[in-house]
Amino acid sequence: MKLRRVLVANRGEIAIRVFRACREAGIETVAVYSDADRDAPHTRAADQSVNIGPAAPAESYLKIEAILDAARVAGCDAVHPGYGFLSENAQFARACEESNIRFIGPPAETIEKMGSKIGARQLMEAAGVPVVPGRTPLDQTDEGVMDAVNTIGLPCLVKASAGGGGKGMRTLRRAGEAPEMIAAARREALAAFGDGTLYVERLVERPRHVEIQVFGDNYGNLVHLFERECSLQRRHQKVIEESPSVAVTPNVRAAMGAAAVQAAKAAGYRNAGTIEFLLEGSGDGARFYFLEMNTRLQVEHPVTEAVAGVDLVLAQLAVAAGEPLPWTQADLTQRGHAIECRVYAEDPAAGFLPQAGPLLLYREPSGPGIRVDAGVSEGGEIPVTYDPLLAKLTVTAETRARAIDRAIAALRDFPVLGIRTNIPFMIRLLDHPGVRSGEIHTGFIDEHLGGLTSATRVPAAAVAAAALVQTPRTGSATTGAQAALKGRTKTGEAALDGCAATDPWTSLNGWGR
Amino acid sequence: MATIVTLRSTDGEHRVEIEGERVIVDGVATPLPRRAWAVARGDTRWVFLDGQVFELEVQHRGARRRSAQQGSLAAPMPATVVRVLAAPGQAVKGGDTLIVLEAMKMELPVRAAADGVVKSVSCRVGQLVQPGVPLVEMEA
Repeated sequence: MKLRRVLVANRGEIAIRVFRACREAGIETVAVYSDADRDAPHTRAADQSVNIGPAAPAESYLKIEAILDAARVAGCDAVHPGYGFLSENAQFARACEESNIRFIGPPAETIEKMGSKIGARQLMEAAGVPVVPGRTPLDQTDEGVMDAVNTIGLPCLVKASAGGGGKGMRTLRRAGEAPEMIAAARREALAAFGDGTLYVERLVERPRHVEIQVFGDNYGNLVHLFERECSLQRRHQKVIEESPSVAVTPNVRAAMGAAAVQAAKAAGYRNAGTIEFLLEGSGDGARFYFLEMNTRLQVEHPVTEAVAGVDLVLAQLAVAAGEPLPWTQADLTQRGHAIECRVYAEDPAAGFLPQAGPLLLYREPSGPGIRVDAGVSEGGEIPVTYDPLLAKLTVTAETRARAIDRAIAALRDFPVLGIRTNIPFMIRLLDHPGVRSGEIHTGFIDEHLGGLTSATRVPAAAVAAAALVQTPRTGSATTGAQAALKGRTKTGEAALDGCAATDPWTSLNGWGR
Repeated sequence: MATIVTLRSTDGEHRVEIEGERVIVDGVATPLPRRAWAVARGDTRWVFLDGQVFELEVQHRGARRRSAQQGSLAAPMPATVVRVLAAPGQAVKGGDTLIVLEAMKMELPVRAAADGVVKSVSCRVGQLVQPGVPLVEMEA
């Protein structure tokens, strides 16, 4: 059955990414938006949009009934959940199916099975996939979780049983920290996933995070699309991802791919999914452990699209429409090197504190091998309520070294002003000798944090540029930039609704000599 | 006539003289960058230069610099109050968590800067608070 009209139950860059694929496939698009996103780019990117409630996620993007109502009213035959929010909520997938609306993702039972870490592990162990020691205590009181911590031993991880993305996850090294950390993990788990159940797991020190993309259809075809290395992360939030991984040899790749396919088959998997592994060591002797399965499209899917030369979202739409997989395992190859950089609204100098506020200036880089997926636009307001991801820069080049050079050059050409971002931080990170040589692990950023976030001297040229931008005489400084500033007066003053922007390349006499 | 602008950065104050196309920063003639972006909002100047971002404040003659309100703790960004752990009259130690905020799905603890006694608490659970607005007043 061909899909006719798809609702995306999400916001930001991923909603726009899915709309783009739908348009290519000749499918109509419907956006949902909260009160805070009335003017957000994703709201305007679809053929029609439906308001689903107040800014708080629990009252809009996490509200199953509101989203299903929107889908019914708009006459949608399918829903794409994106990532985060309801993407790994089995109840939502089931509610869609019961409303005769196709859920673009795996079956509800699979989400359920893989969403419970304990169930997923049992399934993986039974399928012969190696796992890290861990458990979900049946007794979820502080004492019960503490018993599990004592059984597993320190250091260990305490995390949300219901979801991924590092939300509600704590590393526990000293027993004294346990009460506060368990309580905080539970609150964050409850806030992010609506389920405070905690899971305790042994911490494998200095591992790499390497995940395998898998894809299945309704006819028993299941393939893997190689690995993504996501070791450059902070507080379990990924920052930079790449493919291929320098630590994965052809033999290990083949073994991990086979294990991932085996794992996905055991789960009865359909559509796009990811098997996350911890990788210990490198070379042919490297060992890998099943970490978890993400039963959705990942944030970092463009990395796989770049090296495998596929469109994962188009394939998701095709499989959801009942078509067979567009590729066999033998069709798939990994070519060149891709790196994704997640541009976050956060301040690395202040403990990566999320930032909210007006995006006074936002210009994306472009050029060969450069892709930007963004959910924001210049003049927009970044709300406090949601994930601070602004955009994803994905570069592709022939080799890893060239991909790093390209990523750095593109970030240097990615001015974002008005709120602080991690762009300067990522440039330093990519240029770090340890990253250049590929000697990375999941603790790398924390280990080198001082050098990566230290202050730099303000060059005189920056002071000169600052002195030349003027605040307009008029304007209330509240409306924010609506567009790039071009109309500049003779005195070198440029005004735009309360903020002034200057691109010396185009707008200041004598700057672009 | 040269225009004089005083700007404050993390490195301190800078005196900039602008005379036609000549820009002199701290006494040194400075060529303008070939490729840079700058915006102004209020007295704040943002500059993006070669992948680095700088924030500078225009200084006004005679104006006193704003100092942080003594003894008060405020939210660093717009956030929702999820827990209030401080009560008036309570003795706290420096580093103690007094308020837990949540923004962008992250918990942000507001901690006491030094030992002291809580004078007043002016926020409640569930409230959306703005940066700079005092949440807790402290006395030594």
